[in-house]
Amino acid sequence: MEVILLFAMVIGLLLIGVPIAVSLGFSSVLFLLWFSDSSLASVAQTLFNAFEGHYTLLAIPFFILASSFMSTGGVARRIIRFSIACVGHFHGGLAIAGVFACMMFAALSGSSPATVVAIGSIVIAGMRQVGYTKEFAAGVICNAGTLGILIPPSIVMVVYAAAVEVSVGRMFLAGVIPGLLAGTMLMIGIYVMARVKGLPKGDRAPWSERFAAAREAGWGLFLIVIILGGIYGGIFTPTEAAAVAAIYAWFIASFVYRDMGPLATAEGQSNTSILKKPQALFTAIWHRDTVDTLFEAGKLTVTLLFVIACALILKHVLTDEQIPQQITKAMLAAGLGPIAFLVVVNVILLIGGQFMEPSGLLVIVAPLVFPIAIELGIDPIHLGIIMVVNMEIGMITPPVGLNLFVTSGVAGMPMMAVVRAALPFLAILFVFLIMITYIPIISTFLPNMIMGPEMITK
Amino acid sequence: ACEEGEVVVKFAHVTNSDKHPKGIAASLLEKRVNEEMNGKMCMEVFPNSTLYDDNKVLEAMLQGDVQLAAPSLSKFEKFTKQFRIFDLPFMFNDMNAVNAYQASDAGQAMLDSMQKRGLQGLAYWHNGMKQMSASKPLLLPTDANGLKFRVQSSDVLVAQMEAIGGSPQKMKFAEVYGALQTGVVDGQENTWSNIYGKKFFEVQDGITETNHGIIDYLLVASVDWLDGLDAEVRDQFLSIVGEVTEARNSEAYAVNQGAKQSVIDAGGTVRELTAEQRAAWVEAMKPVWTKFEGDVGADNIEAAQKINMSMSN
Amino acid sequence: MSQKAESWTDRLEETLIASILGLMTVVTFANVVARYGFNSNILWAVEFTVFLFGWMVLLGASYAVKINAHLGVDAILNIVSPKSSKTLGMISVAVCIIFSFLLLKGAWDYWANFANLPATTGRWFPTGFEENFRGKGWYETDDVPMPAILGFMEGMFNDGDEYEKLPRLLPYMVLPISMALLLFRFCQAGLKLWRGEISMLIVSHEAEDSIEEAAQYVKDN
Ligand code: NA
Ligand code: NA
Repeated sequence: MEVILLFAMVIGLLLIGVPIAVSLGFSSVLFLLWFSDSSLASVAQTLFNAFEGHYTLLAIPFFILASSFMSTGGVARRIIRFSIACVGHFHGGLAIAGVFACMMFAALSGSSPATVVAIGSIVIAGMRQVGYTKEFAAGVICNAGTLGILIPPSIVMVVYAAAVEVSVGRMFLAGVIPGLLAGTMLMIGIYVMARVKGLPKGDRAPWSERFAAAREAGWGLFLIVIILGGIYGGIFTPTEAAAVAAIYAWFIASFVYRDMGPLATAEGQSNTSILKKPQALFTAIWHRDTVDTLFEAGKLTVTLLFVIACALILKHVLTDEQIPQQITKAMLAAGLGPIAFLVVVNVILLIGGQFMEPSGLLVIVAPLVFPIAIELGIDPIHLGIIMVVNMEIGMITPPVGLNLFVTSGVAGMPMMAVVRAALPFLAILFVFLIMITYIPIISTFLPNMIMGPEMITK
Repeated sequence: ACEEGEVVVKFAHVTNSDKHPKGIAASLLEKRVNEEMNGKMCMEVFPNSTLYDDNKVLEAMLQGDVQLAAPSLSKFEKFTKQFRIFDLPFMFNDMNAVNAYQASDAGQAMLDSMQKRGLQGLAYWHNGMKQMSASKPLLLPTDANGLKFRVQSSDVLVAQMEAIGGSPQKMKFAEVYGALQTGVVDGQENTWSNIYGKKFFEVQDGITETNHGIIDYLLVASVDWLDGLDAEVRDQFLSIVGEVTEARNSEAYAVNQGAKQSVIDAGGTVRELTAEQRAAWVEAMKPVWTKFEGDVGADNIEAAQKINMSMSN
Repeated sequence: MSQKAESWTDRLEETLIASILGLMTVVTFANVVARYGFNSNILWAVEFTVFLFGWMVLLGASYAVKINAHLGVDAILNIVSPKSSKTLGMISVAVCIIFSFLLLKGAWDYWANFANLPATTGRWFPTGFEENFRGKGWYETDDVPMPAILGFMEGMFNDGDEYEKLPRLLPYMVLPISMALLLFRFCQAGLKLWRGEISMLIVSHEAEDSIEEAAQYVKDN
């Protein structure tokens, strides 16, 4: 089949170092010119329509931006202080606090690597100071960071929702219980290891410190209330929520925490009050820190979305040649049942996740497996969560694992050492994947309870 | 898969292929063309916006990447503003009037009105009359005051919602259910088949049978593609199109009435208007006509009104 | 933070990316405020924002080539000899150049008729310009109103007829521009690779800068 040639070409180009976007786009264009009678103009049209026609993808730059403002603006630092005050006194307390902080940051940010950088850069150093090994610290954060895409908001969920046209709000709700569950499983795993290995525990924080830390972190954490409350309270759509989050994060960072913008001062001094410098309300808009953060978020958006846009070209070419229908027919004719099908999906995604960045992989795989899943009566939201969890695992397995790269940088460790360090926790995530795959209600309970049963339109 | 030597016809549309009036018609057309024109023509239908959505399909048609499409009539307002007549509220009393207008000289002339811009209308395909729904009961136009209504991209529909004191909102169709459910927008307007198919009734207080406008589609092809067909192939194709149109248009009313009954059976609230209530809606919305009379053409409006008159007698 | 700006073009491109993203965010936020706060609307907000989105990514794509920011897989490049790595790099560059050239042709063919210009003929490579074509300068966007300042376009592209909405030729114009820039940047990257100034076309992951920053942070604390 020609389609095998197509995928072989994509992988071949990837391996020799062609950018992912070009590997996808170039293979699709050749395939289109050879096998169909569609024009190159239709490729350009699809490229532009990746943005014009996929309004939900807009949430990605906004969530990236919100996340950048929070990292630059000191939200992560305050969340960590609060986590340590809460759970630092358990055995393995600082590690558990690290996971807890990752979970909280995940509820603000839509990306896993961003979560690792924001929390890891502070927590790993702190863990080493109190006597944890570098490996253990790196393994914990590398894994807990993957919750960034499972706990809403999530860029990967937005991509899935856009690719198969399910509700973003529903996907976000579906991630809540699995996210809490995965976080809890990681924390229990750490606690058990801590008891076995005799890892250090911190002092119990006094209630005064807990309250003080909570009040400080509260401004940042209130964003969770804004995002979820705003979406389910009818104030804005999930896409708009991301833009509101970005504006709120900028406001908190510039005017409340004042760790960036015109009111920030050098380390160690208290930041300037807005009363002393009221013109900052305006100058903050074009302040160097604001512009730099916008640019950094924009740059990340560009590289990510260019991959997604080229993956959408591939999707267009596959649709044009009716490939998904052929695959669906072949698989159904082979008598594939739901259980076997989900195994196949997991294997495809796990292997794909070894090589590809999650969003690009998802855009390609989702439209191929979605029609089959619907035929087999699998809930589209459940399928989405399965895919997200697979992406999480892909992020911490070599050779391509965003979280591995980021952690190796943050912890100053060679990649292979991080891989070994992440292994014990990876086992926990595997157990979690199996649970998610075969117990659909973990994913579907909350969205069905709040939004009613999913309507499935073929 | 098509065979060597067959004319390949890609038909991209945005609905399902087995429940929606347009989807059913497209599937029937596909079946008949592939059976009766085997060896000469081969049709591939791409439903559910998988290949192109309504915004892109006409561009793709003009550049030769798709051969057949059936977007809603408001999409053609960019080609000629005459098509705004089908968005004007209370322009047609019922589907029979719509049908008669489309079959009249005025309606048939509109099929040819876009030739200069490269499109040839082949047939009008019916969906049905639009109803209005909201998060509270709508019996008089004043009930809509201050409510946010999702509207399609059409200046006429924006003006219509403003005429009843509503706040029109632009939103992608895929987002509408969620937005109605959470209350980002309060209401919407649509045909019974769309209200049932997209389950909007589940997240609205009720649906008021206003019959205030229509949603219909225009089956189109590009002039260049049609000109390039063998005369014999083209004639056979067009005669199949004609038969499918007739068969499905006569069923469209029943499809929508069935959808209305399904809404009721599923526990949705349906409200009917008394003659006085309806008159109030007409009075509130009709001023919109003046604003767009220049675009639509006074003669076209007159022709439509004549048809209304003659059919109510 | 960001790497030191090297030239005015860097500054221009960085400021452009930052401003577009800022504008997208503000317009979307303003629409929420208008709708929820004032029961009003900005009818063009959605369409205008997605156009900006497309502009940012398409224009940014060539900038990302310039700063080697495109995502890719470097696993094999890292284990083979430098000589083989360079050979693979040159093959990659060739693929990228052909790709951006094909996209440039596609982008021109798509856009040209909207600006009443001829598309190229030829399926793979341009063999000339079409002689008979239908201009689509009249084709308007859905919701974005036509600013009065662009009134001169009506005479140029719409036979003097009034545009109620922005003509599509404007938002789509980014396609040929950005694809030409992309082609240019890939050629430039090829030259740099040939001269040994860079070792590969890609960054193997999205977070190189963040890693350096974070490593710095860990060292400092
Ligand atoms: Na998240
Ligand atoms: Na991986």
